[in-house]
Formats: sequence, structure tokens, C-alpha cells
Amino acid sequence: MSAKNKFNVSQNEIDGINILSLSGFLDAHTAPILEDKISNIIKNGNNKILINFSDLDYISSAGLGVFMAFIEELRQSGGDIKMAAMKPKVFTIFDLLGFPLLFDIEKTEQEALLKFKSSK
Amino acid sequence: MISEMINKKLNKNSEAVFSADFKNLEKIRDFVKQFALKNGFNEEVSDKIALAVDEACTNLIRYSFNFDNNQKIKISVQTDDRFFIVNIFDEGKPFNPLDVPKPDMNEYILNFKKGGLGIYLIRSVMDEIGYLPSNENNPQNTLTLKKLLA
Repeated sequence: MSAKNKFNVSQNEIDGINILSLSGFLDAHTAPILEDKISNIIKNGNNKILINFSDLDYISSAGLGVFMAFIEELRQSGGDIKMAAMKPKVFTIFDLLGFPLLFDIEKTEQEALLKFKSSK
Repeated sequence: MISEMINKKLNKNSEAVFSADFKNLEKIRDFVKQFALKNGFNEEVSDKIALAVDEACTNLIRYSFNFDNNQKIKISVQTDDRFFIVNIFDEGKPFNPLDVPKPDMNEYILNFKKGGLGIYLIRSVMDEIGYLPSNENNPQNTLTLKKLLA
């Protein structure tokens, strides 16, 4: 099996919010796939991104770095990256780095969507 | 009896060589995780040890090898009385992660800087870290990561 199949991003849009659903392993090998997706969303003039982590099994600093790379630019333009539905083993890594202070991490995709709507 | 002892011994030490390519990170994590599980760590701690090794190898590929896939990374895992020990050997440019200053995470978060997170994670999840750069008698740099046995 190709290692490329071990990470996947599916994309859909609700009310101008781009939802990226991640599955598999997000490491230095697969992080460029996510970087491209977010880059394209921004190029198309959108700045509200919701990451659904429900099927993601692993994240390393290379994956975390992708969010770090875009968050400032997105917030400056009035957008954000909000996160939802992390498995405990993925949340642990965010927590080790103190990232819950930096990112809005919600239990469910629905709650994260509501956060975007209430901040309009 | 003798064969049992040999088996036990084999189980206590294992090594593997990987091409320095990001696509091998998953295999590297699996190799380390399986050995950690065999040595009594639970799933959560085994995942953290595998993460530390992933971060160390990611840094090697990026900084020491500058993405040269012809380079090799040798990883050995073993235990002593107290520790689960992972040694990572390379023949790239010496890069001592212990020289990287500990970031102040609050400042880090405020500045949204990129990079340096991997070493912070290694320090957070492992109990001891050692580094031995190559010298005229030994061409290999050795990074040693230790975790107290469960």
C-alpha cells in the first residue's frame, strides 16, 4: 500500500466555511497535502476553515506547523482555523504544546460551526 | 532453557535501518511502537515514544541530510534495568538537539513562530536525552532517547 493512502483530506463548504476532514496520519510526509489544501482555500479568497479531526490517528510537529503557518494570516483577515472532534491521543499532542490556548478546539463539528456563526 | 534465554535476549534488543525519507516515518514509528508495547508500555506511552523518534528522524532528514534520500538512519531499541532506550545513528551533519534553546511556550504562541516544536515534544515525552557527535574513531552521530520503564 502506498503511504499516500495513509492520509486523506476531504473538503466541503457550509455557509462560506470550508470544512476539511482529516483521516490517517499527519506527519512530515503528509503535511504538504494539507498545506496545499489550506493554501488553495486562501487563494480562493476564503478565510474560515474548520478542521474535523475525527478520523485522524496521528499528528507530529510537522502537522502542527501547518496550522501555525496560516493562523496569523487568517486571523488578520478576520478569519480563523477552528478545530473539532479530536481523538484523545491527538488532543494530547496539542495539549503538550499549550495549543488549546492558541486554537479554538471544540468537541464536535457542529459546535465549531456555531462558533464561526456567533463570531460573525 | 538455553533457547528460551536466547529468545529473551533477542527480544531485548532490536535494530533496523531506514532510508532517510519522510515516507519511512510511519515504518519507523511502527518499529519503535511495537517494541515499546512488548516492553510493557501502554498504547498511549508507546505512541509518545514513537512520536519522539519521528520528530528526531524528521529533524535528521530535514537538517542533517538536507533531504538526501541516499542517507540512512539506523535505529536500535533496547532496555536496561531502568530504561527503554532508543539510539538513533546517522552519518549526517552533526545536529545536537540539546543545543536548541528551550522555547518559552507562552512567548512562542504569541509570536506564532514556525519550527522548533519537534525538539520541544521530544523533551516533553522522554525522560533522558543524550547526544554523541561523530569523531575520528566513530563516523556516526548518536542520539539517545530514554524512557523509564513502566
